[in-house]
Amino acid sequence: MVKEIERAGIPVVHMCTVVPISLTVGANRIVPTIAIPHPLGNPALTHEEEKTLRRGLVERALKALETEVTGQTVFEEK
Amino acid sequence: MKLELGYIYIKDIQFGETSKVENGIIYVNKDELKSIILEDQNLKSVEFDLAKPGESVRITPVKDVIEPRVKVEGPGGIFPGMLSKVETVGSGKTNVLKGAAVVTTGKIVGFQEGIIDMTGPGAEYTPFSKLNNLVMICEPIDGLKQPEHEKALRFAGYKAAAYLGELAKNITPDETETFETLSVTEGMKAYPELPRVAYVLMLQTQGLLHDTYVYGVDAKRIISTLIYPTEIMDGAIVSGNCVSACDKNTTYHHLNNPVIHDLFEQHGKTLNFVGVIITNENVYLADKERSSNWSSKLAEFLGVDGVIISQEGFGNPDTDLIMNCKKIEAKGIKTVIITDEYAGRDGSSQSLADADVSANAVVTGGNANEVINLPKLDKVIGHINYVDIIAGGFDGSLHEDGSITVELQVITGATNEMGFNKLSAR
Repeated sequence: MVKEIERAGIPVVHMCTVVPISLTVGANRIVPTIAIPHPLGNPALTHEEEKTLRRGLVERALKALETEVTGQTVFEEK
Repeated sequence: MKLELGYIYIKDIQFGETSKVENGIIYVNKDELKSIILEDQNLKSVEFDLAKPGESVRITPVKDVIEPRVKVEGPGGIFPGMLSKVETVGSGKTNVLKGAAVVTTGKIVGFQEGIIDMTGPGAEYTPFSKLNNLVMICEPIDGLKQPEHEKALRFAGYKAAAYLGELAKNITPDETETFETLSVTEGMKAYPELPRVAYVLMLQTQGLLHDTYVYGVDAKRIISTLIYPTEIMDGAIVSGNCVSACDKNTTYHHLNNPVIHDLFEQHGKTLNFVGVIITNENVYLADKERSSNWSSKLAEFLGVDGVIISQEGFGNPDTDLIMNCKKIEAKGIKTVIITDEYAGRDGSSQSLADADVSANAVVTGGNANEVINLPKLDKVIGHINYVDIIAGGFDGSLHEDGSITVELQVITGATNEMGFNKLSAR
């Protein structure tokens, strides 16, 4: 999916937990997420904490989308 | 550590007034066993049935398959940390009811897994079609939560297997086999010229119906560690694992791990089987990194020349497999990986979700996406109406005439990644 959409000229950010698989399949912008059963959330947190976590992930993904890359890049948490 | 397994060959299983093993036949007093199982207050009812080789019987959804064993000599009891106290097992003598198994079935969650056909084309793909099976159908009390339900069902299986095993405690085995693991230094002195080989046994640890337990510890909470192979033969590792049934290790697989048996077969002849490293397959990337770092560190620490790695499951665990492989290879240790494939129904897709050039010696248990037609069988033990919604089944899998079209994925043990099966493409 990531590669096919990029082939059409649209940049893609792959948000995923297992970064090595994303690297193997060839995604160019990768944002690491939380865990396989809950990539964009964390049931151990309160609703408020989870909202902050989600917002942070989405903002990081949007930032990645705007960033020029020359090769496969993983956008780690700063 | 040295263990003698005593095999008592079982040719039949029947219900009877007194539970006993006599002339290769297991007799089970249903009422007595029922009262033991129903001591668990989370279970409302239990029914027993029998499924024997060649019968027109389909068992589904299968949760676990367990071989009855009993400690005859030496410390501890079968399933330490679960049923027995956390004594270190794996030495002394253990009797095995060879040719028999306890099979647990039951509905726990929406997706239900695992088919064992006792005859027909499906029977070829599961080793459990060749066994005399005591099948248990347990129902929980109303309102019981899924994790407690799963636990009750899992323990019911251990208890029934231990009950049958106990019947064999005072029986002289038909055949015995001895397995011994020396300490690292003794082993080096005994076989100075032989290549030293360890086995990395990967355990699926991803949550409800995807878990494995070691001496009673949920293996997602372990750091990769060492275990004597004979401890595993005494039930130190048990399965809570049945989703995508084709490549999940039942408790029966752990007890009879063919990689361990084959390494013992070659031990002292072509290689020195040093021991077993167990590691997990968790859902967090940091856990995957830590566990594979640790298994490679242990392999290096043991100073082995080669390692065999067996995976459990597929998809994200392919990454754990590849991490183990490449990190161990990076230490200068040769590896062979055992896996299975999800290569699409025509077999032309990429087989694993992850890959690396160091994974250059691969053994496969087969393509789990392969489609198979299973004819209607006369009797179904369990619930057939789940076939449309199990992994490997699809809408329309269950036909009006009772036959089913499914991927191999649904058959318990069909593409086992310990290499348990005999089918080959050759």
